[in-house]
Amino acid sequence: MSGDLQAVGLTALLAATTTLLLVPLASPLAWWLARSTSPSRSVIEAVVAMPLVLPPTVLGFYLLIMLNPESVVGSLWIELTGDSLTFSFSGLVIASIIYSLPFMVQPLQAAFRAVPDSVLEAAATLGASPRDRWLNVVLPMAKRGYLTGCVLTFAHTVGEFGVVLMMGGNIPGETRVLSIAIYEHVETLNYDAAHMLALGLLGFSFLSLWLVYRYAGHRFEVVRG
Amino acid sequence: MSHQLIIKGSLRRARFTLDLDLDVDLSRPLGILGATGAGKTTLLRVIAGLERDFSGRVEFCGEVWHDGDHFDRVPTHQRGLGVVFQDGRLLPGRTVESNLAFARQRARKVNAAVSYEALTEALDLNHLLSEPAEVLSGGERQRAALARALLARPRLLLLDEPLAANDADHRQQLIRHLAEWLSAEGIPLVYVSHAAHELAQLTRQLIVLERGSVTAQGETHVLLEAQSEAIDSVARPVAAVVMSTDVEHSTATLQLDDDAAGAVLPGERVLLQRELTENSGLGAALQPQSDENEG
Repeated sequence: MSGDLQAVGLTALLAATTTLLLVPLASPLAWWLARSTSPSRSVIEAVVAMPLVLPPTVLGFYLLIMLNPESVVGSLWIELTGDSLTFSFSGLVIASIIYSLPFMVQPLQAAFRAVPDSVLEAAATLGASPRDRWLNVVLPMAKRGYLTGCVLTFAHTVGEFGVVLMMGGNIPGETRVLSIAIYEHVETLNYDAAHMLALGLLGFSFLSLWLVYRYAGHRFEVVRG
Repeated sequence: MSHQLIIKGSLRRARFTLDLDLDVDLSRPLGILGATGAGKTTLLRVIAGLERDFSGRVEFCGEVWHDGDHFDRVPTHQRGLGVVFQDGRLLPGRTVESNLAFARQRARKVNAAVSYEALTEALDLNHLLSEPAEVLSGGERQRAALARALLARPRLLLLDEPLAANDADHRQQLIRHLAEWLSAEGIPLVYVSHAAHELAQLTRQLIVLERGSVTAQGETHVLLEAQSEAIDSVARPVAAVVMSTDVEHSTATLQLDDDAAGAVLPGERVLLQRELTENSGLGAALQPQSDENEG
């Protein structure tokens, strides 16, 4: 039971870290995808969306190749931190960021695309600098996109299995997240424990989606004063 | 103080090429007249720095705003503008009050002759302050946008058909207030409109645009006298007629073909124009609203 609680804590930490890191990482990318007319946009869009269609084991396999201690990135990471990226929490975070990228980028891209140029032009004529326009016009208008992106990213990270197993294995307290714990309970025929965790995930998933539909579904929310 | 505006250059558009060589002193308000598609709005956008493809030079008060292909030598947000677009363009998701606050927070630090309270009162906005921008009518949006532009305490006011969506009563009031404020604040004005009476009341000099080129430039009242001819020469056939009420205390109803097209206030001059098709013409008449009035 304490092992399961540890898995719940680790999963929440992984999902929260991934979500928090993806907000600043995905925002400029989503903005560029929403506004750019560059021919390379569709290529980048396809790359970002790859995790949606790629089997998680394939992604996990390539991440393992790219991030293992013998690779350029993996060895550089060891030099910098002394830790390996494979079979570690840091590696899981990187894998989760890549795996969940489309879940953050796509809602933000849609939200940014909905901000008309005409509104940004009006703000500019009122003296708002590009940074000011971003913070005080774009962000308030993209609130729902951020909420949707955060909830979906968090929920998706909580449910990760294939990539986590390939990159992190099953190390209690380090890489043993909820989905791995459920898998292990099933493997050892401990169905009661598996039920407990699976039911918890089921409820959590429903709650996440309800949150998105309930609060991100509002047509607009008015800024007063 | 001189408010020299110099615009030289060109901009290619699908329907016309804006080709300008303008040098005007905005110490006297400038009107821009022209048919739809003549390039009036594009000209305002060039002045505002919103047309990246304009190739040429824009100068205001000796300050180079746009030079060659460097459209943002002075970027839009640093030009000290007040702009009212045709559609108002209030910031969505915000109340009217929040839209006005957005302008006030970024306004130039100058002593203003007209207060926030006076503006909202005169523009009939007080009952709308807590309303979201999305629920306003076209006329209300334009009035809020006008207040917002003036609250930015601009050094140059660019108005693009700013009253078109308001009814005749509001329009007349707004013209009167606007004339007072501009005179009190000394703000240079560039005013785009189809309405000859608005241009006559608010501007002293006028340019007429046709398919992107200036075809006439001079005193507003002189050019307006000849406006029918000016408008006749646009690319598509247009019929135009100027009508005015001479009586001092009457209001007339304008009959355009068989439809009543709106009220004409005493002394108001109205420009009618209509695109002609093969078998159509323009029939217009002023009908007095009461027996003793004449149109």
